[in-house]
Amino acid sequence: MPMNGKPIVRVQNLHKWFDMLHVLKGVSLDVMPREVVMIIGRSGSGKSTLLRCLNYLEQPSLGAIRVAGVTIAADPKRKPDQKKIRDIRLRTGMVFQEFNLFPHMTALENVIEGLITVKKMTREQAVPIGEINLARVGMSDKRDVHPIRLSGGQKQRVAIARALAMEPAVMLFDEPTSALDPELVGEVISVMEELAREGMTMLVVSHEMAFAREAAHRVIYMDQGEIIEQGKPDDIFSRPSDPRTYQFLERVL
Amino acid sequence: MSANTLASPMPGSPDPNAVGRELMSIKRRSETGLRIRVAAVWIGLVVLLIVGLLTIRFSPQYMIEHAGFVLLGAGVTVFVSVVSILIAAVLALLGALGRLSASAIAQGVSSFYISVIRGTPLLIQIYLIYLGLPQIGQQLVNLGIPQGSILILDAVPAGILALSLNYGAYMTEIFRAGIQSISYGQREAALAMGMTRWQMMRRIVLPQAIRVIIPDIGNQFIAMQKDSALVSVMGVWEITFRASRFARKDAKFMEMFLLAALLYWILTIISSRLQDWLEKRMAHAYER
Repeated sequence: MPMNGKPIVRVQNLHKWFDMLHVLKGVSLDVMPREVVMIIGRSGSGKSTLLRCLNYLEQPSLGAIRVAGVTIAADPKRKPDQKKIRDIRLRTGMVFQEFNLFPHMTALENVIEGLITVKKMTREQAVPIGEINLARVGMSDKRDVHPIRLSGGQKQRVAIARALAMEPAVMLFDEPTSALDPELVGEVISVMEELAREGMTMLVVSHEMAFAREAAHRVIYMDQGEIIEQGKPDDIFSRPSDPRTYQFLERVL
Repeated sequence: MSANTLASPMPGSPDPNAVGRELMSIKRRSETGLRIRVAAVWIGLVVLLIVGLLTIRFSPQYMIEHAGFVLLGAGVTVFVSVVSILIAAVLALLGALGRLSASAIAQGVSSFYISVIRGTPLLIQIYLIYLGLPQIGQQLVNLGIPQGSILILDAVPAGILALSLNYGAYMTEIFRAGIQSISYGQREAALAMGMTRWQMMRRIVLPQAIRVIIPDIGNQFIAMQKDSALVSVMGVWEITFRASRFARKDAKFMEMFLLAALLYWILTIISSRLQDWLEKRMAHAYER
């Protein structure tokens, strides 16, 4: 797995307060191109907030974020530059726990919406790209179906195709299988594993150990707004060095 | 087959399809039965009304003779209501976006508009626009500003303006609630793919919100058709104005106003049918 050169994501000393609650306490993190990083930790550890700060769905309070050449330094005294935020969002694809497919659009329309509205493509240009990405997640046969007629796993695969269609430099997954019935988790995980094999840079907040063992290059354990330890999946899972990591894994594994 | 065979345990297992069909037909029969009885009650009430009217030397003849004249006003009523509801919807959308905006000016203007309009009677608003505004217009013209004459409105435009402004204020709250009913996840998904706030509104939030508020807009339209009777005070030749002319002339109040009431009633029945049809059409994407 060649991972050299400059990091594609750089987080420097990131802080986030929700009113008086200090949820991120100076997180720094580099992600290399093609790297698959998994973030684990108990609920309230700040792992989702960290992910959501990367594309400014949450506004960081302090610190700097660089994604694929676009840098935004948080400045609490000033309104953030909306143009730069959109630039970062164009370089990241987000997959949500609750899918958030647009219910008034078919699967294909969901996938091409960003191409048409944001990238200003014509429908004729966008449809083939949409079809390719639906095929990537094995959803070609559902292209004209509305989300209400899809299972949870199918919805999440369309949501992944929707993010991929924008050709992001980094994919962000925020607990992508947590809202799924257990028997539907596998189809989403295998799509994600395929993406990892293709060399997509991925940040994944999840507790799917199968995915961690199969596809992750690095696992990060977070607790109370800090990165406690990180390393290769096998090392973290079998030889955690911090007692907090050990305790957490005891309960999850 | 009767309900009896269902209740008594049969030897061996019953055919589940046959039982299902039987249960469904029992349910359907009791539903149609209820519908027929409700219709019978309606007919009874209408008969009662007619009998009551005959005891006061009511003249159906007079009513029929003038039906055509009043019916001509229905066109004006429908025209005024349709144009007004469309303008009101635009005002309501702007008002709702203003209420939800972070800008102090937008919030201030829209909340002021809603407060003033909802705090005053529609009839007064009609008088202010039809009789009050021309005073300002005339004053401007006297001061050498000829554009002031646009404030001097004919009865129909004045009525449309008053109804639009009035319903726009009430519908602002409907639009605001509709917009807010769309989950935050929908907005986040739109923003995460790089949309601007306006693109998010236009492509993701509003199309879903419109569907949610169609029944409320329909109700407002039905209410407006009847509130449009108030523009008769300006002498617009709509249903109420036409009815009241003969009612006063020949002292046939019950005949003429009942005729007007009947016309409004028919109009609202047509409107609610339209509303049902529109709701069904928009539900397509949401049916399993």
